[in-house]
Amino acid sequence: MNNLAEFLAHAITLEDESAQRFDELADALEVHHNGDVVELFRKMAHYSRLHLADARERATGLDLPRLAAWEYKWPGAESPEAIEVFDVHYKMTPFHALTAALESEKQGQAFYAHIAETAADPGVRTLAAEFAAEEADHVTLLQGWLARTPPPEDHWSEDMDPPAAVD
Amino acid sequence: MMLKAQDYKSDVKPVWCPGCGDFAVLSAITKALAELQVPREDAAVVSGIGCSSRIPAYTSVYGFHSIHGRALPIATGLKAARPDLTVFCAGGDGDGFSIGGNHFIHACRRNVDLTYIVMDNEVYGMTKGQASPTTDAAWTGSKLTPEGPGVAPFRPLEMALSAGANFIARGFSGDPNFVVRLIVEAVRHPGFSLVQVLSPCVTFRPEQRAWKETTHADWAPESACTNRRDAFLKLLDDDGFTTGVLYKGNNPVFGKPQAATATLEELEKGFAL
Repeated sequence: MNNLAEFLAHAITLEDESAQRFDELADALEVHHNGDVVELFRKMAHYSRLHLADARERATGLDLPRLAAWEYKWPGAESPEAIEVFDVHYKMTPFHALTAALESEKQGQAFYAHIAETAADPGVRTLAAEFAAEEADHVTLLQGWLARTPPPEDHWSEDMDPPAAVD
Repeated sequence: MMLKAQDYKSDVKPVWCPGCGDFAVLSAITKALAELQVPREDAAVVSGIGCSSRIPAYTSVYGFHSIHGRALPIATGLKAARPDLTVFCAGGDGDGFSIGGNHFIHACRRNVDLTYIVMDNEVYGMTKGQASPTTDAAWTGSKLTPEGPGVAPFRPLEMALSAGANFIARGFSGDPNFVVRLIVEAVRHPGFSLVQVLSPCVTFRPEQRAWKETTHADWAPESACTNRRDAFLKLLDDDGFTTGVLYKGNNPVFGKPQAATATLEELEKGFAL
């Protein structure tokens, strides 16, 4: 990460895509009346949007680079806080949702922490460390929620009227 | 004002199963449109029938959710009549390679300048999980084919290359930003472009989640084959999970007919008895 503008371009996209993915998953699960998980994903989308607003504010006055989707320097195939599309199930429980959300926050935290350690620009290192600390708070928060959430029953995905039934 | 990917999404919420790979393809298409900055009124998405063919409704550009297997002739007609439009055709493997199989061959051959995105999950999802043309011969997941379909799967890339497609690529919906690049390159390359996207069906083929481990991006777009012989040789070594750009050809693109060189009266004289 070469400069503050490039870093903030990444941070903005990271939070934006995280919020969009949580909303997309909430929309998809709403169709299946999975209210508890919908509520949780909406909450996560809200938090991502708060961070998005913060990152945008910090970018005020900077000329951010316009990057194509494949030009971002993500550690994986997608921005690190976007839950993988395939990691959901229509009967998933809040425990599953929190586990997936926790994983995404950990990935976000690791992304910022890595930049804080390796960026050449001191300004980028400072801001990345600040963002990493915020993400670490979220990780702790989610771990607390997860500890208070009962794990799913063994047969959580059983469906008396499964979509795959061929009679 | 710059359009963002979200600007190309409609207010209609997808009804795909949670976890469906097509969500990522929709996102890739909208990101590609944003990258290309195509005005919304200058783009169209034409589809056939199937889960993935619902995609026009989820975009804010012009759309036509047409009939089973007939998306390509409709998209071809649209592009011929309105060459100024950026035309996408989208659908699944059953729609494109079985019901619309013959249209696929001739769309490659005509080489009209449009981009065909096939979301390939090797199953008929909308009708509850039957074997499709790209299903492996030994797949026993459907009660309709309890011992597997028993026929060799259709090879879309080989067929496209044989029939004359000018741009051939394969992506994986688990690597959506790379799919964006493939779509952008497909649109920019003249002629008929095929982008096969391996897009898991988590309901009827949940084992396809493992494609994350089996796909490998070994066809770098910058070193795509420019002649068919090299491309065919690459395909002989392909395990079906290589992603990237296979081929960028230079075949003549179907264009607007030449301007008339004679009037109707002059032509009629030639037929006078």
